[in-house]
Amino acid sequence: MEDEDVFTYMVGGKAGEGVKKAGTAATDLFLDLGRESFQMNDYQSLIRGGHNFSVVSTSIREVYSHHMEADLIVNLDERSRKIHEEHLAEEGLMFYNLDDSEERDEGLGLPLDEMAKEYSKPDLIKGVAGIAVLAAYTGMDQKDLEDLIEKEYSRGVEENLSFAKEVYKEVEEKIDKTINLEKGKTDSTVLTGNESLSLGAAAGGLDMYIGYPMTPASSILHFFAAHKDDLRVMPIHPENEIAVANMAVGATVPGARVMVGSSGGGLALMEETISLAGMTEAPVLFVLSSRPGPSTGVPTYTEQGDLSFALNQGHGEFPLIVASPGSVKEAFFLSKEMLDLVWKYQTPGIFLTEKHLSESAKTLGLDLDFSDEDGLETKMADEDDDYKRYEKTEDGISALKFPPSKDLIKWNSYEHDELGYTTEDAETVKNMHDKRREKNETLILDLKDMNTVNEFGEGDAVIFTFGSTTLSVREALKFTDIEAKVVQPVFLKPFPIWELERYMDEEVIVVEQNSTGQLAKLLREKCGIKPKTVIRKYDGRPFGPRKLAEKLEGAIE
Amino acid sequence: MKLDESEVESEVENTWCIGCGNFGLLNSVKNAVKKLEDEGIGKDRLLISAGIGCHGKIFDYLNLSGLYSLHGRESVTIQGMKFANPNLKVMAFGGDGDAYGEGLAHLIFAAKRNADITMIIHNNGNYALTTGQKSPTSVQGFKGPSSPEGSVDEPINPLKVLLSSDAGFIARGYPGKMQHLTEVIVEAGDHQGFSLVDVLQPCVTFNDTYEKYNELVEVLDEPAETRKEAVELVEKEERLPIGVLYKEKMPVFNEKVYPEKNPVEDRMDEKERFEAVKKILDEKR
Ligand SMILES: Cc1ncc(C[n+]2csc(CCOP(=O)(O)OP(=O)(O)O)c2C)c(N)n1
Ligand code: SF4
Repeated sequence: MEDEDVFTYMVGGKAGEGVKKAGTAATDLFLDLGRESFQMNDYQSLIRGGHNFSVVSTSIREVYSHHMEADLIVNLDERSRKIHEEHLAEEGLMFYNLDDSEERDEGLGLPLDEMAKEYSKPDLIKGVAGIAVLAAYTGMDQKDLEDLIEKEYSRGVEENLSFAKEVYKEVEEKIDKTINLEKGKTDSTVLTGNESLSLGAAAGGLDMYIGYPMTPASSILHFFAAHKDDLRVMPIHPENEIAVANMAVGATVPGARVMVGSSGGGLALMEETISLAGMTEAPVLFVLSSRPGPSTGVPTYTEQGDLSFALNQGHGEFPLIVASPGSVKEAFFLSKEMLDLVWKYQTPGIFLTEKHLSESAKTLGLDLDFSDEDGLETKMADEDDDYKRYEKTEDGISALKFPPSKDLIKWNSYEHDELGYTTEDAETVKNMHDKRREKNETLILDLKDMNTVNEFGEGDAVIFTFGSTTLSVREALKFTDIEAKVVQPVFLKPFPIWELERYMDEEVIVVEQNSTGQLAKLLREKCGIKPKTVIRKYDGRPFGPRKLAEKLEGAIE
Repeated sequence: MKLDESEVESEVENTWCIGCGNFGLLNSVKNAVKKLEDEGIGKDRLLISAGIGCHGKIFDYLNLSGLYSLHGRESVTIQGMKFANPNLKVMAFGGDGDAYGEGLAHLIFAAKRNADITMIIHNNGNYALTTGQKSPTSVQGFKGPSSPEGSVDEPINPLKVLLSSDAGFIARGYPGKMQHLTEVIVEAGDHQGFSLVDVLQPCVTFNDTYEKYNELVEVLDEPAETRKEAVELVEKEERLPIGVLYKEKMPVFNEKVYPEKNPVEDRMDEKERFEAVKKILDEKR
């Protein structure tokens, strides 16, 4: 059931040659044709040199993840050509740089360095060749290419236009066939996961974003910094992650809705403060965008090795909410929902995602329809109440009041009484533990009314996955005859046992991107589900859908 | 509990040792709060925080709103409060172990970015609450349970560090001169921008410095004119000048990064937010 209508474009070269930009321009080109696409950027933790590539898969149907079998590969240097030799699809076209690679029988070469030499930025401009080759290969009009260059490469546009036309003409003359890309009906937006979760949070009333750069979360900070005037979310970049987290906790006292973000290393530094947020009942949303660990790990690649880390954040016992989106679109709605949840329950939440979702770009239609009231209102104190910050209530939730106020409002890191004064009294210590646990019980009641698990497709086989791997699994299923149901827990803490218990006796397969099978372990522990097969990948690269499809077939046989 | 119907000092049992310098400090703070109230900075918009240590207990002894923070982090907690709502006045109490050790980086950066906050440091030259270990300001040779043979390292000079980090207001006070300390705290509270009062706080149990301070402390009439002269003042060991040592008005952080906006007081409504988001989505087409 090979889905032939997917066209995959790949462009590779050194950092500083505009590779990612070429991928973005390609996505735009496909969008002009009304086609959906998914763009994954593979880059190294360096500023110049090395090898980067961008891969865009496009179709007239929704594409959930990129493919590694490319119909057109544009290599800006010999290293790229060698690396991607194995990624060329049957009948695909390999384009290479004649100034760096030997002339070959297969494919098409042009002296890119020589041609680029004439321009003021000979390295950076090479990326433009990527888009010119694509335009020629897909039979695009020169006029349309010019419009695209003007839009995507507006800085130094004259040179870019001239170079693009030169490459376009050469390619047009030398190739013997062009590919016709069917027009689709998509008129949607292209967003990365980080852009999507940021916009969702902004729509959900975020007041401040505080972050310290760490890939793959840095682009959230950059996004809010670039949009501080239009989105009106105050961006702050303080001295370190410990400051980030504590500033966020402080900001909640006067009532600011605040989100922070980092990767595993940064979150580890914030952990004491996550516990502080649990104790003081400070509603802070922490974005954890994972990369391969342990330690500094592989900074610009992807992994789901931080699931247990996220679930076990913070010393002591307190309610913690952990959820992870399975699509770029879900990132948008989930960040707002999580903000509402952490505020309703006055407790920290972790928005768990990975580089593959954070930094990949996808076409998606979004309409900002939050109209169905989710019932997640923040409990506010009445003006003349005899206010107690930690008043004991049936559901464990105390009302909030923000200064300036004539009432005493004390939040406390030590165990405290209802007014917020420090206590060591045995009964109060116990009561406050009960209060926080009761909040967790109320939270579970709320979650039971919410969508906590996504299910896709129907079939006898049951495949469990989570986070960005959902993208790979859904795309893989387009390339096999297997009839399967994909089950993606969105909420990971509290774990939606009530939704998942029914799979206890089924033969389930788990797909996840780590080496020890952390989701499988969680399913076993929480729901008694005993996975038959756990398909794991932990080389930092996301699953390729076709290869994953083969693995799934092997597991389901 | 209504703030205007209650005393500044709470009814929580005070567990500081009899004779502790913290009592004089607490009294000065109480009086300073009243003076600030007279100036129009009401208790309704004065928020406090504290680190963890003997000093931090002042959070419970004051009927003021705020958040009792973590060891070393109170300077960041109050920055969060201030940036979220610049109309609030924020003040935090730290210890020398806490603010000059565990949280020193935060202090340096708060000074450098000129966050509009006031820090009061109970500098008692030891980690009192954890039974008297050496601290960043302990003198060389200080004997405590972690340095039974005497600490080997030289103390840091936190005020010098902060002056070199562009701190706009540096002062020193002594609980033995309560009235003077009150005035210094009020002036720090009035200062727009980063202000820090280093309080020479005798700890009668682990580091009794009353005699030394009574002899060395000297009230300074006027702050130093230049940063360089201020550094000279804080380098003095033969005399200990107290009072405002340096004062310079500079633009404050939130006005620099987010001018004329108050994150919690002038928000966009839902409709405006959606429109702003939609506009960006349209640009991504
Ligand atoms: C992260 C962390 N580390 C260690 C401690 C234990 N601790 C509590 S108070 C303190 C030192 C207090 O010294 P200082 O800040 O000088 O305050 P003092 O008690 O002298 O007022 C320490 C190490 C803690 N609470 N948190
Ligand atoms: S141990 Fe020292 S600082 Fe702590 S209360 Fe006693 S005298 Fe004061």
